Amino acid sequence: MIEMNQINHQFTIGKKGKERVIPVLHNIDLQVKQGEIVAIVGRSGSGKSTLLNLMSGYIRPTSGTIHLAGQAVTNMSEGEWANFRLAHLGFMFQSFQLIQSMTAFENAELPLVLKGVGVSQRKKRVMEMLDQVGIADYAGHYPGELSGGQQQRVSVARSLMLNPPIVLADEPTGSLDSDNERQLLALIRHLNQDRGTTFVLITHDEQVASVANRTITLKDGHLLTAAPAKGGIHSYEAH
Amino acid sequence: MKLTDQFRFVRQNMKKNKTRLFMTVLATAMGCSFLIVLASVGFGLQKSIVDKVVGDRMVTAIDIYGIAAKDQVNTSMDQTNIEYLRSIDHVKTVTYRNYILQNLNPSVEGTAVNSNGAVNVDFVAEAKAGFALASGRLPQNGSEVIVGYNIRESLDGNKPNTEPPSAKEWLSKTMNLEVEQLAKDGTKQSKTIPVTIVGIGQKPSREWQTDTKVYVGNEILTEIESFTQTQWGEKRILADKENKDNPAGYEPLGLQDPRQYREVQAIADGANHVKAIAEEIRVQGYYSHSIADELEQVNLVFLIMKIGLLFVGTIAVLIASIGIFNTMTMAVTERAQDIGIMKAIGAHPSAIRRIFLIESSMIGLLGAAIGTIVAYIISIAVNAGLPLIIEGFMDEKVPQDFIFSWIPPYLAIISCLISLAVALLSGSRPAKRATRIDVLRALRRDL
Repeated sequence: MIEMNQINHQFTIGKKGKERVIPVLHNIDLQVKQGEIVAIVGRSGSGKSTLLNLMSGYIRPTSGTIHLAGQAVTNMSEGEWANFRLAHLGFMFQSFQLIQSMTAFENAELPLVLKGVGVSQRKKRVMEMLDQVGIADYAGHYPGELSGGQQQRVSVARSLMLNPPIVLADEPTGSLDSDNERQLLALIRHLNQDRGTTFVLITHDEQVASVANRTITLKDGHLLTAAPAKGGIHSYEAH
Repeated sequence: MKLTDQFRFVRQNMKKNKTRLFMTVLATAMGCSFLIVLASVGFGLQKSIVDKVVGDRMVTAIDIYGIAAKDQVNTSMDQTNIEYLRSIDHVKTVTYRNYILQNLNPSVEGTAVNSNGAVNVDFVAEAKAGFALASGRLPQNGSEVIVGYNIRESLDGNKPNTEPPSAKEWLSKTMNLEVEQLAKDGTKQSKTIPVTIVGIGQKPSREWQTDTKVYVGNEILTEIESFTQTQWGEKRILADKENKDNPAGYEPLGLQDPRQYREVQAIADGANHVKAIAEEIRVQGYYSHSIADELEQVNLVFLIMKIGLLFVGTIAVLIASIGIFNTMTMAVTERAQDIGIMKAIGAHPSAIRRIFLIESSMIGLLGAAIGTIVAYIISIAVNAGLPLIIEGFMDEKVPQDFIFSWIPPYLAIISCLISLAVALLSGSRPAKRATRIDVLRALRRDL
């Protein structure tokens, strides 16, 4: 489902003529199978978010190739990426990333609007999804009127609205209390089992990592381990 | 993304900062209004001064002298030629004047009238061409005629320093026209056709000219011809061996023979079209002449004047465009995070660009619509108020029906299109910027 080969990535900072190159990822080889839940763990600055951003197409690798859902995405144009995201990817963010001037309904509806789905069909699907994540009663509320847990549910509803085969989640429980965290993880597990959705989760939280089939550890831009959730740890050689 | 959703987004966005939107629309409306009012003065003056002069029949008429035919010029036009001339673009109408080929001995109240002949004209065409009248009106039914301005001059001339009585006094009076014909057996027949004088022709422009003609329409011509059974009421001359000059006699053209028309004029719907019409018929072999034909630069002068005024007005709209650019740039900056979120979940860059372009064109259209309404109000106010001001403060009298400002519909349309184009141009750069917003920076609230 996700295949990254020999991915290297570096950032260039500083003014022109005094640029400094900061390597972030080194020779990453990673495969995620369909229906897997993979947790990427590691310390701050280890390159976890960069790895997820590469999968999302928000940044392009310095070298290496990426295949998502069987498509080579490395050299896709902005427009192609937009279409690809809409068709194949769902996103959960730590800070929810809801549009403040839109109601919970409108935020959740956004992927359907972008896809060009008709109004009546949209209304039905959004209400079903909001109901599924337990936030239907707050459909007319603006994000500022919702708690963190409620906002994350709207964000989850939005990410799952088009039934994406892959969901990329960056610290999805980072802003949630333990109750909400537990509910979200239960939902992730349910969707994975029910629909076969592939999840890539970035987390610091061991409880989050525990729902994964596999945990990948990054250290200083190197991929260290790939461990089955309930099994022995397989060590990769650091590249 | 559906267009209706894009409009919904735009509507929501526009509601976010109503004051800024109002000020931008106001600036655009002022620019558009200035453009229309400025150009309308040019159009108004043209309508009042230039069109009045060059719109006169003297300038818009093209005299058709004849048509080339085998080493000679045929000065008579048949029905086909008339139909062809009528079919040309921008030819308002085609007129002709044919003399009734016998003296109709007109009389009013039993007194013989000094007329130098009766002329058949097509009054429907003459109405379009602008038949100049000193008084009265054009005939509206078959028994009405127009008489020349000098119709009341006495048969033996007027005494020096005395004016003949005014022809105006004959309006509504009955004139008898005497039609004669010689039957083929030599019997002399005659018929009196009573007609009503409803109009007096304009005084000839040259002092030495006099107009004592009787202008009759097609119905009266038909009545005359049905009596004489010859074209234009021409009298036949019977064969007479004793007549040394014309022993064989003369049989005029019958009603079944092809009809010939003389003094044909094609009237253009504007002086600026005369040249093109003259060129077109010249290619077809017609010999023609027009005063406007010689004013080759008349088109160019009109064009330069209108372009100049539109150009000056467009500068005002361009100034307003700075406001639109500013508003759109602010809108993109304010919504950078929202745009970033939309891009992050799959919004196509072209959809984002379209949303901002729709927004700037809505501002342009709204401004143009308000500006056009205001321009019409100003135009009406100027036309009503300026003559009063001029008369009150400058002791000058403004001619009746003088128009200072005139807004033809196409001027309003052109101005709205200019406003729309300028708005789109102003919005294009901010819209492009919106598509280039970095998703990660937007998600980090780093913009």
